Amino acid sequence: MAKKPTQTVSHAIQKQIDRTSYLFLLPMAVFFLCFVLAPMVIGIVTSFFNYRMGVFEFNFGKNYAQLFTDKVFWKSMRNTIVIVIASVPLVTVFSLWVASALSEKSMTATSIFRGVFYLPVVMGTVPVVVVWKWIFNAYYGILNYILKALNLMPQNLRYDWLGEKSAAIWCILAILFTTSIGQPIVLYIAALGNVDKSITEAAEVDGASKLRTFWQVKWPSIMPTTLYIVVITTINSFQCFALIQLLTSGGPSYSTSTVMYYLYEQAFTYYNYGYANAMGVILAIVIAGFSALQFKTMKTE
Amino acid sequence: MKKILLTAFVMLVSLTVLFAQGSKETSADTSGRTVITWWAFPTFGDNGATEKALIEAFEKANPDVKVNLETIDFTSGPQKLTAAIEGGAAPDVLFDAPGRIIEYGTNGKLVALDKLFTADYLADIGGLANACTDGTHYYMYPLSSAPFWMSINREMWEKAGAWQYVNTEGDRLWTTENWAKAMEALGKAGYIGCNVYCGGQGGDQGTRALVNNLYSSSIYSDGKWTANTEGNKKALELLKKLYDKGAIDFGRGIAAADELQLYQQEMIASTLCWGTSNAKNYKSDSYTQFSVPFPSEDGVPELEYLANGFCVFDNGNAAKADAAIRFIQFICDDPEWGPKAVVASAAFPARASFGNLYGDDPEYALLSSWTQYYGPYYNTRPKFAQMRTQWWNMLQYVSTGDKTVAKAVADFDAEANK
Amino acid sequence: MDQIQKNQTKTKAYSVFSLVVLIVIALLFLFPFYWIITGSFKVQPNKIPPEWFPASWTVMHWEKLFRQPAWTWFFNSVFMSVMSMILVLMASSMAGYVLAKKAFTGRKIIFSLLVMAMALPKQVILVPLVRMMNALSLYNTLWAVILGTVGWPFGTFLMKQFSEGIPTELLEAAKIDGSGETRTFLSVVCPMLKPAFGALAIFTFINTWNDYFLQLVMLTSRNNLSISLGIATLQAELSTDYGLIMAGATLGAVPIVTIFVMFQKYFTNGIALGAVKG
Repeated sequence: MAKKPTQTVSHAIQKQIDRTSYLFLLPMAVFFLCFVLAPMVIGIVTSFFNYRMGVFEFNFGKNYAQLFTDKVFWKSMRNTIVIVIASVPLVTVFSLWVASALSEKSMTATSIFRGVFYLPVVMGTVPVVVVWKWIFNAYYGILNYILKALNLMPQNLRYDWLGEKSAAIWCILAILFTTSIGQPIVLYIAALGNVDKSITEAAEVDGASKLRTFWQVKWPSIMPTTLYIVVITTINSFQCFALIQLLTSGGPSYSTSTVMYYLYEQAFTYYNYGYANAMGVILAIVIAGFSALQFKTMKTE
Repeated sequence: MKKILLTAFVMLVSLTVLFAQGSKETSADTSGRTVITWWAFPTFGDNGATEKALIEAFEKANPDVKVNLETIDFTSGPQKLTAAIEGGAAPDVLFDAPGRIIEYGTNGKLVALDKLFTADYLADIGGLANACTDGTHYYMYPLSSAPFWMSINREMWEKAGAWQYVNTEGDRLWTTENWAKAMEALGKAGYIGCNVYCGGQGGDQGTRALVNNLYSSSIYSDGKWTANTEGNKKALELLKKLYDKGAIDFGRGIAAADELQLYQQEMIASTLCWGTSNAKNYKSDSYTQFSVPFPSEDGVPELEYLANGFCVFDNGNAAKADAAIRFIQFICDDPEWGPKAVVASAAFPARASFGNLYGDDPEYALLSSWTQYYGPYYNTRPKFAQMRTQWWNMLQYVSTGDKTVAKAVADFDAEANK
Repeated sequence: MDQIQKNQTKTKAYSVFSLVVLIVIALLFLFPFYWIITGSFKVQPNKIPPEWFPASWTVMHWEKLFRQPAWTWFFNSVFMSVMSMILVLMASSMAGYVLAKKAFTGRKIIFSLLVMAMALPKQVILVPLVRMMNALSLYNTLWAVILGTVGWPFGTFLMKQFSEGIPTELLEAAKIDGSGETRTFLSVVCPMLKPAFGALAIFTFINTWNDYFLQLVMLTSRNNLSISLGIATLQAELSTDYGLIMAGATLGAVPIVTIFVMFQKYFTNGIALGAVKG
């Protein structure tokens, strides 16, 4: 937090500060107002309208009421929460493990591994999807090929990874995982590097085991980083969309449909903009709620 | 090192400024010409060459109009259209199929083309007029049409002993019974008879044609979408039975483009999504692609067909709308360029007066004969877009056994008409 | 003593184990990248059994790719990324600095508005954004994507975090020396924000390069596409041609990966510093 001025500021000086500050804020404010806030306000307002192609009329909270009885919406919400609950701990724990394993390796090794784990993020969704689509293909996919070569799968089976209800969402999760751990690893490596070496060494000389040193010394000091990682991973998982649109279109049987995808489907294939926007508002509230909860529980620890 | 990086960076930026393009659109260019924008799906399939030739010819004949071409693709195109229309950035002319066009028209986004549909013209285009209207106004100006059919891998069918079930004579009509026997024979021989793709809406008319034809049913009746008919239920039961036996596959993870690719690479024995442009794009030299109509119980199919045509968006500018209408009339009616455009779309002319454009090509003779089996055109009925999403989801439910056929079709009816 | 020795062997065993696991996982992460590059040189990339390494090399997919306006797409991507980067750096460093260091009226409200904007899904603003860009006659131009990117407040957060680390005494000293606000910002604040500039620059570059959805909606002309949009279009139009798609994917991925590898140090340092302080 910024340091608050201790002495009371006179009216004239405050005016002076305001003027410079607003001037500095101006460029960002223009971009933010025009291209984020204004469309956002329009989006929120239209969520109270029966807004379809060619129709625009106020219908109070009917869109929101309709959400409650929409089975597909609830299914999508459930899938979204499954994705969040599965991916957030996995991403956090795995990236922490990678970072601590790397902390004992040389600088060069660290920077190579860090780069490699960041690769799927940098490559971009479209090229990544090109490869995964082929990996999971039922007919010529490499996953089936390898499983058959290892005799883990009957030779005549054509398992359709993205077409089986029990498998599709886990496939999406696996890909999401590879595109999510890059940043957490970078952050943890830096955070662990900032832990005071002398304290950990002292603890180890005292005979404390590695694990105990970790929990008692390192864990508390990387807590803020963990909090940050948990929050950004949560937001990203909630907003998982491109993978689903490019790989499964929400299927089979809506088993991979997320709120973000269903929102998109409502807006872009059914032209129900008002309804879709209501969904977006609800999603934003859920995300904000989750983040607030995480802040609260983790800050008090 | 730093200097090299910096130099490289500066060079990259300057190159970018040179090469990156930004097109600007105004309603009139410097010479006072009316500028219209034309969005085209890749129906001509030759990378924009046909479109460019048409524009050049039109601009020569109409020096007061300039046409900007933008090609969009079938996967992301519909979303772009939606965003553009709602964002007030719709094109002036769109080259598409009736499904979306009529939907836009019904919702007041298009210029009604009623005055173009004179009695003479209606007589010339015949039944295709049904595909151009929502019942009150005409919104699509048709260029050409062609049936959808199936294609089978002849060598594969011969090896599996399934070739005996194919009727190679006349119009090649065949029955559901023979088709099912062929599928079982292919399955026994270790092949996959066909793939009922249902991972998205791309090319879904193929799976609908199969289901509707097997026991001669339909998807639209009495002003409602319905899969809940005896015929459709029997067809779905049959598909599920063949699937459980391993004779056919349900592609819950794929759409038509993937299925066509599997067919081209000889991983499945037949495709449900053959059409004039797919036959061009997915041909293979390593085996024989044999065209057959969809099988039906009585051996007389009701084929689905595609119609290509133009619509004009109502962008509140009379000069543009007028120029756009002149443009689409030029493409569809010009005695020289009309037939050229029809041939480029690899389909049959909307205007009977254009005559036979394909000489004595035997494949086109067959297709031309199939036009007599055209079924009722339902793509222009209300809630078509909604029905499509429900359709492939229903196939998924049936194939996984998540829902019984009876429940799946009942849910389909409820959701598609909501 | 015994205990320590035992601990040391245990540590060593663990260290070897973790290295092996890391290498295996790293290879899995490298695989897609390897696969698109080699795939673009194979005659038929999706054969079964797979060709792990091109049996015979061919450039035919690349020739085909460059019959499309692939270079134009590529330079469009570069242009959008560079422009967004420059604008984001300017706008967010100025905003972040005053948000951190100036007690101006309404600071809290402005800051919470920025925070709230992060939670709302982008899809909700899309249709209104198209309308806005069209009104400014920017629809279907590269600027629609650039301006749509610059407004997102992430950069401002990062810059605010960093600016908080600038000692207030330093700013006051500059003021006493008679330095105006602009000069203080340029000569005192900016140099101290260097690591943040590096990180944010690369972050914005990568994000803009890969922002498939915004590009999809804003760009329609074939000559205005970005490289990733171009690949997606090719995939939709010619899904059979795996080799061509692999070549396109390579053209989309290799430059951005190269940039990342070259500037990795600045990026990781900057991002990490910002987050650790937050």
